[in-house]
Amino acid sequence: MNRVGLALKWFLFVWMVVVIWAAFMWIPSAEGFKGESSRIVFFHVPTAWVATLAFLVSCIASGMYLWRREPKYDFGAAVSAGLGLLYAVLATVTGAIFAKIMWGAYWNWDPRQTSITILLLIYAAYFALRSAVADPEKRATLSAVYSILAFVTVPFLMFIVPRIYFSLHPDVMTNADPDNSLDSAHLIVLLASLAGFTGLSVWLYSVGTRIEKIRHRRRQEVL
Amino acid sequence: MRVISFRWMSGGISISFSDVAKRYDLRVVFRAVSGEARPGDALVITGPNGSGKSTLLAILCGLLRPTKGVVQYRTDGGDDIPRDEWGRHLGVVAPSMAVYEELTALENLRFYARVRGLALTDADHRALLDRVGLDPDRSTPVRGYSTGMAQRLKIAQALLHSPSILFFDEASSNLDPSGQDWLEGHVRSLVDEGRTVVLATNDRREMTWGSRNVSLVG
Amino acid sequence: MSRWLAEALAVAAKDLRAEFRTRVALNSLALFALTTLAAVSYTIGPYRLAAEDRPFLLSVLLWIVIFFAALAGLDRSFVKEEESHTAPLLRLAAAPTVVWAGKLLYNLVLIFVLMAMLAPLFCVLMGFEIAMPWRFVMVLAVGGYGLAVITTIVAAIIAQAMTRGALFSVLSLPLLLPLLIIVIEGTRAVAMGDLASFSESLRAMITMAGAMTIVSAFLFPIVWRD
Repeated sequence: MNRVGLALKWFLFVWMVVVIWAAFMWIPSAEGFKGESSRIVFFHVPTAWVATLAFLVSCIASGMYLWRREPKYDFGAAVSAGLGLLYAVLATVTGAIFAKIMWGAYWNWDPRQTSITILLLIYAAYFALRSAVADPEKRATLSAVYSILAFVTVPFLMFIVPRIYFSLHPDVMTNADPDNSLDSAHLIVLLASLAGFTGLSVWLYSVGTRIEKIRHRRRQEVL
Repeated sequence: MRVISFRWMSGGISISFSDVAKRYDLRVVFRAVSGEARPGDALVITGPNGSGKSTLLAILCGLLRPTKGVVQYRTDGGDDIPRDEWGRHLGVVAPSMAVYEELTALENLRFYARVRGLALTDADHRALLDRVGLDPDRSTPVRGYSTGMAQRLKIAQALLHSPSILFFDEASSNLDPSGQDWLEGHVRSLVDEGRTVVLATNDRREMTWGSRNVSLVG
Repeated sequence: MSRWLAEALAVAAKDLRAEFRTRVALNSLALFALTTLAAVSYTIGPYRLAAEDRPFLLSVLLWIVIFFAALAGLDRSFVKEEESHTAPLLRLAAAPTVVWAGKLLYNLVLIFVLMAMLAPLFCVLMGFEIAMPWRFVMVLAVGGYGLAVITTIVAAIIAQAMTRGALFSVLSLPLLLPLLIIVIEGTRAVAMGDLASFSESLRAMITMAGAMTIVSAFLFPIVWRD
């Protein structure tokens, strides 16, 4: 096993342990948050961030696949989407828990919750499509095309829809952006958590793509 | 014989394919097939059922990409024709490729002519239908045709744009003996005209029409 | 250019002619729309909604019926070609963008026919009062176009897959949601006479439809040809 890789993995492990400890032990409860609920922010924000990043990576990989037609881009797109789905689910769940504690309701369709839901739907659709196509090249092509179509809707979701949405739902409460009301200690832990989760997902991505490469090589040998 | 105003390319097109293989995930259809067909040739592709004749034909038409290998179309002058344009120069008759059932024979031909951008009139279409013996039935929806009639319409559709290359996949099937005679005459005259013909078949009679042979081992 | 258009029109005309003879898609669309409308009208009717909620809720209901009716019938243009095995000859005969444009045109006709039938009926049965009727038509037209563009490319994608039916809805919905939100707001605005909001929604709709048109036109040949 690659020594640098091994060292990095252990480093990541230690990093995450420290982050978790810091989030629960070192940091005192934040002001303005009910009970200990502020701690969830250290996990909610990074997972939402990684979910979005994974989507971006998946779309770029899809574009590269359509351009170059190399299988490795398809692996990247699929693995990234899988990670994105996982993180999106985590982000949704942590967000809902936070919303329940802070505002008494698990779900109130504010723009962020709405966006993450639509992202979840896109991921679900992406995998539904992949599972419905048997031929690997066709599967790669069709899911890459869908990825790009989904990507086109993102600017609308991010910019246009929230504005329109508020005229439809003037009663929706916006989640106060936790970042703004955090002091430096909180910020450090948050950034550290962000880095940790990103590192974690990079590792998972590399493992996933390596598995796909091996699978692919096995198939090639048949011919 | 009526004069029909088709656009006709002076000079034919050669097809060559080398080391072509097709795999679907873990199933290999065939490996390392090579061959060629020149203007005035009739290439016969033979092989047992399931050996991939229809798949090879689809690859040669440009409908499928081979997993490995190269297929090339070249004009007499040696120019390479890109895959996107192959459709213009070829006609196919195959069991897996159907015409529109809800339309009549005449409507089918009108559609294919229009969508190919051909300036053909109904008189032209009727002449072609007459050649394949379908003129009396030209205004009946294809749904009501016998399999032999439907096969004749497919042949008409393949000849519509007077292509340089013709593919026949089991074309004699569904034809009665007189239809088979007619088809043989037609294939031979296409070859004599200098077109390139490719036949995928297990029919012994059809095999005799060929000047070259490629065999797919199952 | 005009030859391209003539070829695309040939594709659309062929689909419409075939559809007119069998009426499968039309039946699906109409049946779905009418039964849903009947259900909504029966349960809610023109009196149950409070006056201040009406513009918004009725806009929502109208568009949900339209969208789901579309999902019931708009995949047929491509799925039928694959299932009837007529797709290969079409691939050889027509340029890919011609096929895309022709099928889009066909879907547009279906959608507009559906809307022409459904919208007046909805307004009458549900007592939907529209302050700006001509602008309402604009919202329907642009929204319907957006719906057609998105469902056309998705139909092309799923026609190549195995499970088809449910997959069409699953793939279309995430892409349609932003459009849905925008058209609902646009409809609410025209119902209430809110010109500013209507303009903003219309602009958003047109942008979205435009973006999807360009992207679909680019991606379709990749989906259509192996």
